[in-house]
Amino acid sequence: MASGGRRSSHPLHRRRDVLLLVAPTAVYLVVFSVFPLIYSLGISFFDWSQTTSSFTFIGLDNYRDLIADPIFWQAATNTAILVIASIAIQVVLGTALALFFDLHLRGSWFVRGVLILPMLLTPVVVGLMWRALLNPDWGMVNYVLGQLGFAKPLWTADPKLALVTLVLVDSWQWTPFVMVIVFARLQALPRDVFEASSVDGAGRRSTLRLITLPLLAPAIVFAAVFRSIDAFRSFDIVFGLTFGGPGRLTTTLSFYTWENGFTFTRYGYASSLAYVMVVVASISLAILVRRVNLRRSDTI
Amino acid sequence: MLTRRLERALAYLLLIAIAIVGLAPFVVIVLISTKTRIEVLQVPPSLDFDIDQIVKNYRDVLFDRGFISYTWNSIVATTLSVGLALVIGTPAAYAFSRIPFRGRDDWASTILSLRFMPAVAVAIPILLMLRFLGLDNTMSGLIIPYIAFSLPLVVWILIGFFDEIPRELDDAAMVDGCTRFTVLTRVMLPLLRPGLIVAAIFAAIFIWNEFLVGLYIVNSQGLKTIPLGAAGLISAQRPIDWNVAATVGVVTIIPIFLFSLFIQRYIVRGITAGAVK
Repeated sequence: MASGGRRSSHPLHRRRDVLLLVAPTAVYLVVFSVFPLIYSLGISFFDWSQTTSSFTFIGLDNYRDLIADPIFWQAATNTAILVIASIAIQVVLGTALALFFDLHLRGSWFVRGVLILPMLLTPVVVGLMWRALLNPDWGMVNYVLGQLGFAKPLWTADPKLALVTLVLVDSWQWTPFVMVIVFARLQALPRDVFEASSVDGAGRRSTLRLITLPLLAPAIVFAAVFRSIDAFRSFDIVFGLTFGGPGRLTTTLSFYTWENGFTFTRYGYASSLAYVMVVVASISLAILVRRVNLRRSDTI
Repeated sequence: MLTRRLERALAYLLLIAIAIVGLAPFVVIVLISTKTRIEVLQVPPSLDFDIDQIVKNYRDVLFDRGFISYTWNSIVATTLSVGLALVIGTPAAYAFSRIPFRGRDDWASTILSLRFMPAVAVAIPILLMLRFLGLDNTMSGLIIPYIAFSLPLVVWILIGFFDEIPRELDDAAMVDGCTRFTVLTRVMLPLLRPGLIVAAIFAAIFIWNEFLVGLYIVNSQGLKTIPLGAAGLISAQRPIDWNVAATVGVVTIIPIFLFSLFIQRYIVRGITAGAVK
C-alpha cells in the first residue's frame, strides 16, 4: 500500500510508542504462555509425583521411559492417524460442500447455518451426543442403518472401528470450518474468470480442475494447516466420545498426557510427553509457516 | 434445457438431504431429552410427549445438577477474559499494523504460533503458578490463563482489521497534534468496531468451550463452566443416564444456537481475517 502523507513521528518516539503499545501483550504472554512452556520443560527433567510426593532430578530419564512406553507409541500412532484421516475427509468434503453452496440454491443460507453449528459446540458435548446417537443397541444411527438393510456396527465398542468413529465425529464437527473458509474464498473470486473460461468452451469439469481448484488452493491449504494443528491436540472430543478406549485404541497424545498429569499426577512424566508434543508442533509450524506463508496477502 | 432442469432438481434434492442429515442429530437429541431413563432404550422413540417428564428432566439438569450456575460461570469467565484480552491486545495489534520496527513480522508470527501450542503442555505449570498465587480454584484463576490463550488470536485478527483502515487517517490526525495513543483511542477505535466484534466472537467461542485447563484449575462445583459440568456426567463408576445427558446437550446447545444466528456473517469475516494479511 502506498502510504502518502509525511511520517510525523520521530524514530525515537516511534520506538517508545512501539514499546508502550506492545508491552502489555508481550509481558502477559511471556508470563502466562512462554514461561509455563519453559517451566514445563524444566519439570520434564524431574521425577515428580504428587501421590508419592517424590521430587528428584533425573535428567533425561523421563524421555528414556517414554521411548520405551508402548502406550506412548500407541498414542502417537493414533494421533497421526486421526490427523491424517480427519484432515483428508474434512478437506474433500468441506471443499465439495463449499462448491455446492456456490450454486446459491434458494434456502441454502439456512442449510449453511445448520451446518456451521457443530463447529461452535462444546467438543465434550459433541462427544457425548454422538455416544448416544451411535449406541449399538438404541442409537438412532444403527436404527436407520438397520432399516436400510445395512449391518449394525458397534462403533466405539469395536476395536477396529473405535478410531474410525472418532475420525468421523471429528469430521462432523470440523468439516464446516473448511467449508466456511473455502466458501468465503469462492465468493471473493473474480467472476469474469469463469465467464471467460466458459466462453472459451471449457467444460464444467475442466473449469473446476484447471481454474477453480487452483484458485482455491491457498484457502484449502490454510484450512488444512489450521485443522491439522488442532487435530494434533485433540482431547475434549476423545474425553466425551470414547475416554481413550476401548483399551488404548483412541488414546491421543493429549489424552495420555492429561491422564498422566491429572489422573496419576505424574507431573514429570506428563511434562516430558507434553514436550514431545510441543517440539513436534513447533517443527511442523516452522515448516508450514515457511512453506505456506500465512501472511501472504492474496490468501483470501 | 431439460438436463439443466433435471440437474437443478437433483441439486435441490441434495440440499434437502444435507439439511436433513445436518438437523437430524439435533432432533434426536431433543427427542431423547423428553424421555425417561427407560424410554430412551426404545427405538424409534415414540412421539408421545409427557410434559411432566420433560419438566422433570430440564428441572433436574438446570437446577439440581447446576447447569444454570455452570452457564452463569461460563458467561462471567468468557466476558471478562474476552474484554481484558481486547484491552490488552488492541494496542499491540495497532503497533504491528502501523509502526515499522525491526523484526515486526517475526514477532507477529511468534505471537500467533503460541495459539498453536498444545494446552496440555502449559496446564501443569499454570496450575502450579496459580497455586503459588493462591488463585487455583477461583474465577480469576480461570480468567488469567484464558486471557493468555485468546490474546494471540485477538492480536492476529485485529492486525488484519487495522490494515484495512487507511493510514492517511493516522497521518492526518498526527499532523493535527494527536499522539499515537489519542489516534488509537479517538480515531481508530470507532472504525475498528467490526474487528473488535469478530475478535471477541472468536475468543469467546474458544473460551466458552475450553475444557482441559479448566479441569486442572477448577474443582469446586460452584465454579464449573459448561464443559466441566458436562464432563461430570462421564464417570467410570456409573452408567450415563442418557435422558439427562441429552437434556444437558440441549441446554448447552441452545445458547450457542441463538448466538450463531447473529454471528454467521462475522464468522466468515473472522476466519478469513486470520488469513487475509
